[in-house]
Amino acid sequence: MEMKEPLRPLRKGAPRARSAAAVAAVERREERVHTWPHLVSVELMAALIFLVLLSLMSVVVKAPLGSLANPEVTPDPAKAPWYFLGLQELLLHMNPSLAGVIVPTVVLVGLAALPYIDRRRKGTGIWFSGPKGKAITAFAAFYTAVWELALIFLDEWLPVPGSEARGVAPYLEYLLRPLDLPPVVIDVLGGWLVPIFFMTFIPFSLAVIVRRHWKADTREVAIALYTFFVASFVVLTIIGTAFRGYGMQLMWPWEIGRPIGF
Amino acid sequence: MSRLGKWITQNRVYRSIYRNSYPTDDRNRVLVILNSLALHLHPTRVPKRATDVSYTWGLGGLSIFMFVILTITGIFLMFYYIPSVDQAYWSIVELERNVTMGSFMRNLHRWAAHAMVIFVFLHMTRVFYTGSYKPPREFNWVVGVALLVLTFLLSFTGYLLPWDQLAYWAITVGANIAKSTPFIGKQVEFALLGGYEIAQPTLIRWYTLHVIFLPMALIVVVSFHFWRVRKDGNISTPVYEDEEDEVEPISRTQAG
Ligand code: HEM
Repeated sequence: MEMKEPLRPLRKGAPRARSAAAVAAVERREERVHTWPHLVSVELMAALIFLVLLSLMSVVVKAPLGSLANPEVTPDPAKAPWYFLGLQELLLHMNPSLAGVIVPTVVLVGLAALPYIDRRRKGTGIWFSGPKGKAITAFAAFYTAVWELALIFLDEWLPVPGSEARGVAPYLEYLLRPLDLPPVVIDVLGGWLVPIFFMTFIPFSLAVIVRRHWKADTREVAIALYTFFVASFVVLTIIGTAFRGYGMQLMWPWEIGRPIGF
Repeated sequence: MSRLGKWITQNRVYRSIYRNSYPTDDRNRVLVILNSLALHLHPTRVPKRATDVSYTWGLGGLSIFMFVILTITGIFLMFYYIPSVDQAYWSIVELERNVTMGSFMRNLHRWAAHAMVIFVFLHMTRVFYTGSYKPPREFNWVVGVALLVLTFLLSFTGYLLPWDQLAYWAITVGANIAKSTPFIGKQVEFALLGGYEIAQPTLIRWYTLHVIFLPMALIVVVSFHFWRVRKDGNISTPVYEDEEDEVEPISRTQAG
C-alpha cells in the first residue's frame, strides 16, 4: 500500500507573488538573518525591560494580604482572582454548572479543535490573514460587546411588576405564573435554556452576518468566533473586576470600596 | 581586545568552559547558537520577521521569562513559607516584616504571576490572528492550550497559599463551582479540597501541586512546545496562496 506523504512545512522561499513591488516586499520579509545578534538582542532587551518594569512595580505596589482566613466571616463581595471573574460574572446569570463547568469546557475543547476545522494553509503568517480579517475582527468585537453589555444590563435592571426582584429569570417566572408550571420548568428555562439560547445565538448570528456581508471563508469565520471569545473574556472580566461591588451589584469602580470582611 | 579581556578568555580554564571566540563573524555567530545550551533552542538563522517585534511581540519568550522569574522568586519564598493552616499566614507576615528583600520577592512573585497569565493569553491571541495554528502547526496549538490550562492552574493554586481572607474565599468560590460539575460534582470537590471542607489537607494538596507537580508538568510540556516549534519549520512565514503540492523534502525545511 502506498503511504500518504505526511504534511510538511511549506517552502521557505519567497511565495509566488505577482507584482514586482510585492516580490520585493516579500523578499525583504523573508530575508534570513543570523540569530546572534539579531534575535538574541531583541530577546535580551525584552527580558530586561520587563524585569525592570516588574521590579519597579514590586517596589511601589504591595501584593495584597487580607486578614487571616476566617470561615465564619464571609467577605462581600467574595471574588476569585481576576482571570476567573469573567466566569464568576456568568455565574450571576445562569445555572452554576453551565457557567462554571460546561462553558469553560466547551471553550477549551473548541480552542483545541480549531486547527482541525480551519485546515487551509493560506493566510498563515499574515496578521488577520489580510485586510478583510481586520475588518471582521473589529466588527466582531463591537458586535459581541454591545450584545453582552445589553444582556448584562437587562438581567441587572429589568423590573418585575409587583415585586422587588429584577432580572430576566424573575421576569420569566412572573410571565409564566398564570400557567402554574412546576418550579423545575421555570428553573430550567431561566437557568439553562435562555442563557444557552443567547450564548448560541450571538456567535451564530455573527457567523451568518460575516458570511453574508464579507463572503467569509472558514478562516474568516474562525476569526469572527475567536474574536467573540476574546471580546467576551475582556467584557465579562472588566465588568466582574471593576463594576461589581457589594452584593455583586453593578456599580461604578469608585463606589466599590473595600470588601466587607477583609 | 583589551589585555584584561585576553587574560580572562585565553587560558585553559576559560577555554574548557566556553570554546568559541566572541561572535563577530558569521562562523562564530553560528557556533555561539549551536554550542550554547540555552541558545541552541534557536535555529542559527531566522527569517527577518521573527526578529520584528510587531510579528510575535516576543510574547512566547516573555511567557517563559515570567516562568523563570517565578521559579527564582518562588524558591526564595519556599525558604520561609510554612504550609500549615496555623502558620502559613504568619509566615507571610513574618516574611514581609523581617526578611531582607522578603516583601520585594513576594511582590515580584505576585506581579510576575499576573503578567504570565496575561502574556500567555496574548501569545495565544497573536498565534491565532497570524494564523500560525494552521498545518503543520496544529498539534503545537493543542499543546499550547494545555499550557494555558497549566498556567491558570499554577496561578490559582498559588492564590490559596497565603491563607488570608482573599485566598480562602476565592477558593470557596472555586470549590462551589467545582461542586456543580454535572454528575461527579461531589467527587471533584472532594478531590480539590482533600476532604469536605477547606482545611489542612486542602492547603498541603494545593501547595504540593503549586511548588512541584504543576511547575514540573509545565517544564515538560513547554520543552515539547519549543521542540515542536523547531520541528514544524520554525516560526510561521506567510503563505499567500494554496501551495499544497509544493512540498520540500523534510530534511531541507527542517535543517533550520
Ligand atoms: C506557558 C505558556 C507558553 C509558552 C512559554 C510559549 C512559548 C512559545 C514560544 C517561545 C514560541 C516561539 C514564537 C513566539 O515567541 O511567539 C511559541 C510559539 C507557538 N506557540 Fe506558544 N507558548 C505558550 C503557550 C501557548 C498557547 C496557550 C498557545 C495556543 C493555544 C501556543 C501556541 C503556539 C504556536 C502554534 C506556536 C508557533 C507559532 C508560529 O510558528 O508562529 N503557545 N510558543
